[in-house]
Amino acid sequence: MNTGEKIKVLYIDDEQNNLNGFKATFRFDYTIYIAANTPQAYEYLKAHPDIRVVLCDQRMPDKTGVQFFEEMRDQYPDPVRMLITGYTDIESVIDAVNRGHIFRYIKKPWTDNDVRSAIEEANKFYLTSSLLVLKNKELQSAYDELGKFAYSITHDVRGPLLSIIGAIDLANGINNLDELRELLNMMSEAVRKLDEYIKNTHEYYKLKRGMLQFAEINFNTLLSDIAALFRIASRNNNINFTSTVIQNEPFYSDEISIKMILNNLLSNAFNYQRKAASEKLVDVHIEVKANNVQIKVKDNGIGIHENHINNIFTLFYRATSEETGSGLGLYNVKDALNKLNGKIEVESEPNVGSTFIVTIPGRTHGTK
Amino acid sequence: MVPNKKLNFIVIDDSKLDCFIAEKIIKNTGKCESIRSFLQAKDALEFIAATPPDDLSHTIILVDIQMPIMNGFEFVEAFENLPGNIVANYTIYVISSSINENDLQKVHNYKSVRQFLNKPLTSNNLSALLS
Repeated sequence: MNTGEKIKVLYIDDEQNNLNGFKATFRFDYTIYIAANTPQAYEYLKAHPDIRVVLCDQRMPDKTGVQFFEEMRDQYPDPVRMLITGYTDIESVIDAVNRGHIFRYIKKPWTDNDVRSAIEEANKFYLTSSLLVLKNKELQSAYDELGKFAYSITHDVRGPLLSIIGAIDLANGINNLDELRELLNMMSEAVRKLDEYIKNTHEYYKLKRGMLQFAEINFNTLLSDIAALFRIASRNNNINFTSTVIQNEPFYSDEISIKMILNNLLSNAFNYQRKAASEKLVDVHIEVKANNVQIKVKDNGIGIHENHINNIFTLFYRATSEETGSGLGLYNVKDALNKLNGKIEVESEPNVGSTFIVTIPGRTHGTK
Repeated sequence: MVPNKKLNFIVIDDSKLDCFIAEKIIKNTGKCESIRSFLQAKDALEFIAATPPDDLSHTIILVDIQMPIMNGFEFVEAFENLPGNIVANYTIYVISSSINENDLQKVHNYKSVRQFLNKPLTSNNLSALLS
């Protein structure tokens, strides 16, 4: 919310003199819109959704100020409503205040100070309630995700644990060493899955709570850090891993987020390979141009069926049972991209492969 | 159970380890003619739909609830829509790590599901359900 800008105020009165006087008095302190009738007032409200305070005269030819506010509230609930009126209308004003249609009333004839202090109060009220709306939205989404987490814990955490308990039980009755080894391998996979879930949960939390730290990023260094981990996987699983970086200009962004994004996309490219494929490929191409970075991660793995493509960024969604996945990885990628104003596109065909294309705008150096 | 018939088993679980455990425990009972495991419920459904009904044998299905693509409930729903002479050849047990009340309640809505079993499958609770 930009508090440096002038507060936008709309004033409705059927007497042109009042309107002119009002505008002349307050135009230096506030951005003033004046309307001689309610249709005109609605036009301003529509054109300027950031109008924070609406003042309206009670006595107008087509309707009273109270009636206008009652109507207006349905369509434009956010601006703070204040009525300007003489003592004779006091009954209807009290009624309107009690029913919550207006925040305050200013008695006629008004003084500059009355109006100014009323507008300042109204603005404070506006800021508090819009902050509250924002906080409520954040809370709601946090609750929703907490619910999903609670449900997923019974499967993604309890599942592997129960598998291991079952396996230990079974192992007690096995004497054949080869069979025992086979079982141990599967148990270690279950433990690895559990660990992956915990690491992803940690990433999720870091993203939600963490602050972005913008610094210059050298993509050659960044990629070689990450690629070192994947070279091992590339050798062990016979996957041809290629990479190119084209960067001829400095680029500023949050390095931790970009590492996390790249790490997730590469993990997926390596994990979701077709086991039978003879030539397994993973290619990463990073190019910085005009203060934008494009990261392209391409594989020729199992691909994603078109029915699932729209859901792959959803929390705990899993499009395949081929490999161990937590349903958190791509959600975290999307979340990080939202924070960086970036976007992601996917091209994929089952049994042909997937390409993920991430675009992130760089921060201009020096700005926060 | 069904007397004088051969017993087959189908295990549906996206966890390889859980399939492995179930297979071993089932084999150890000595009461089973054949076992098939499926990591994807869809594959199991296709197999069941393509297998002609057999009056001489009966098949027990152990199906997990939370699986990607087609979950256990979706599997049971699709299964109940298969021809009646096929459906009659099977008994379904839902087996899950879920402690979610909704999941547990939901199991009762399906007439083809005999019972809910808690993971992990043990030889004791399998023998109990076969006797």
